[in-house]
Amino acid sequence: MPDLIDGTENVSVQGIFNWILLLAIFSIITAIGNYLGYRHPMYDSLVGMGILSLLTFVGVWMERKLPFNISSIIYISVIGIAISFPGMPTADFVSYYVSNVELISVVTVFLAYVGIGMGKSWNEFKALGWRSIIITVLVISSTYLGAAVVAHIVLIMTGVPA
Amino acid sequence: MGEGIISKKDTSTNEIQHIYRQKTDKRILKKNPWRDYGLHLTVLFVSIFAMIIGPIEIQISKGVEVLIMPLLYTMVLGLIFYLDKRIFWIQRKQSRVAEGAMMLFIGILIAKLAVSSGQSIHLLFEMGPALMLQELGHLATILIALPVALLLGFKREAIGMTNSIGREPEVAVVVDKFGFNSPESRGIFALFIVGTIIGTVFISFLTSISVSVLPLHPFAFAMASGVGSASMNAASLGPTLAAFPHLETQIEAFAGFSNLLSFSIGIYIVIFIALPLTEKLYEILEPRIGRDSSLYDGDDNDA
Repeated sequence: MPDLIDGTENVSVQGIFNWILLLAIFSIITAIGNYLGYRHPMYDSLVGMGILSLLTFVGVWMERKLPFNISSIIYISVIGIAISFPGMPTADFVSYYVSNVELISVVTVFLAYVGIGMGKSWNEFKALGWRSIIITVLVISSTYLGAAVVAHIVLIMTGVPA
Repeated sequence: MGEGIISKKDTSTNEIQHIYRQKTDKRILKKNPWRDYGLHLTVLFVSIFAMIIGPIEIQISKGVEVLIMPLLYTMVLGLIFYLDKRIFWIQRKQSRVAEGAMMLFIGILIAKLAVSSGQSIHLLFEMGPALMLQELGHLATILIALPVALLLGFKREAIGMTNSIGREPEVAVVVDKFGFNSPESRGIFALFIVGTIIGTVFISFLTSISVSVLPLHPFAFAMASGVGSASMNAASLGPTLAAFPHLETQIEAFAGFSNLLSFSIGIYIVIFIALPLTEKLYEILEPRIGRDSSLYDGDDNDA
C-alpha cells in the first residue's frame, strides 16, 4: 500500500494549515448539529468549538515540537483542565462557551468519520471467524462491567452518595 | 484501522504514542484532506439527518430499555456509505483521509472532557481511589474471556485476545513483547479488528442495558465508559448521559479523568499485571480445558 511508506513528516506550514482547516470544518459541522439537536445558539457553539479546536491544535503542536515523548492527549487534558480550573481568569469564559457544545454533538460528527474510516477494515473483519466475535464481545463486556463494579464498590466504601 | 499498526513491525513500548502521531501526520500533512468536499459534505449530511431523527428508545421488556443514540446512526451510515459502491465519492482514499482526520478530532473530544474535568476538579480528590482502582477491574476480562477462548480452541492466540480490551496501545505492547508474527499478536490483531467494527456499537448497547438494569453508581458507569478507545468511550457516554441528565458535567469529568489515567498508567497495568497474569492463567488452564489442536494449524477456521 503506497501510503504505508514511512518517514516521519516534518510539520510544515502547509501541514499546520491543513490541521486548522480540518478543525474549522469539524467545528462548523458540529455547530450545525448542536443547533439542530439541542438548540444551542450557533454563535456560542462556534466560539466553544473554537476554544476546543485551539486546545487540540496546541496539543498536537506541542506533541510534535517539544522534545518530550508525551502524547497530545496528555497535553490537551492538562491544558484543558488548567484553563477551566475554578479561579483561573479564563475559567468563566471557557466554561460558558464550552458547555454550550454538547458532548453528544461532537461525538455524533466524530463517529461519522470513524464509520467511514473503519470501512477499510471490513474485509479483514469478514475473514475472521465467529469465535473471534464471541471473544471480543466477552472481552469488552467483562472489561466494562469489571471496571464499573470495582468503581461502584470503591465509591460505596469511600462513602460517596449516589 | 489495523494497517498502520500491523505494518509497524518493531514497535517498542516507548514509541506507542507515535502510532497516533504517525497516522495523523501521514494522512493529514501529505494530502490536503480539506479538499475532500464530498467526504465532509457527506458527514454534514449524515450529522444533520441523525440530529433531526434524534434518539430512539426501544423497550425490550419491562424496565429494560435500549436507547439508540444519533451517534450510532452516523457511524453505521458512514460504514454503509463506504461499503456501498454506488456512493462513488466515498472510497478507500476518503476512508484513509477520514481515519487521519479522526485522529485529529480525538483531540476535540479530549478537550471537551478536559474542560468538564477542570470545572469539577474537586471530584478528582474526593473520588481518586475509585478512579485508580477501577483500572484493576479491567482484569476481569482475563478471568472470563480466557477460559472461553480455550474452550473454543484458541491456543496462544488467547493470550493476546483476552489480556485487555485490545486498542492501539495494548496492541503495541503485545507486538513489542511477543513479536509481530507470534500467535499472541495474531490474537490481539483479531481482537483489534473485530473491536474496531463492532466495539463501538456493542459498548453503546451494553451501556444502555447496564444503566437500565444494574443498580450501580452513576459515576461508576462514567468511569467504566473510559475502558476502550475514544470512539468507544464516546459511544458509551451517550446512554450514560441520557440516563443521568442532572449529572452531565460530573459524568463527563469522570470520563475525562478515566481517559487521562488509562493513557498514563493503563498501559503499565497491561505490561506489569495483565499480560503476566494472562500467561500464568493460560499455563494453568490450557492443559485442563484446551482443545487438542490449534484452530490455526487446522483448516476449521470458520470464515
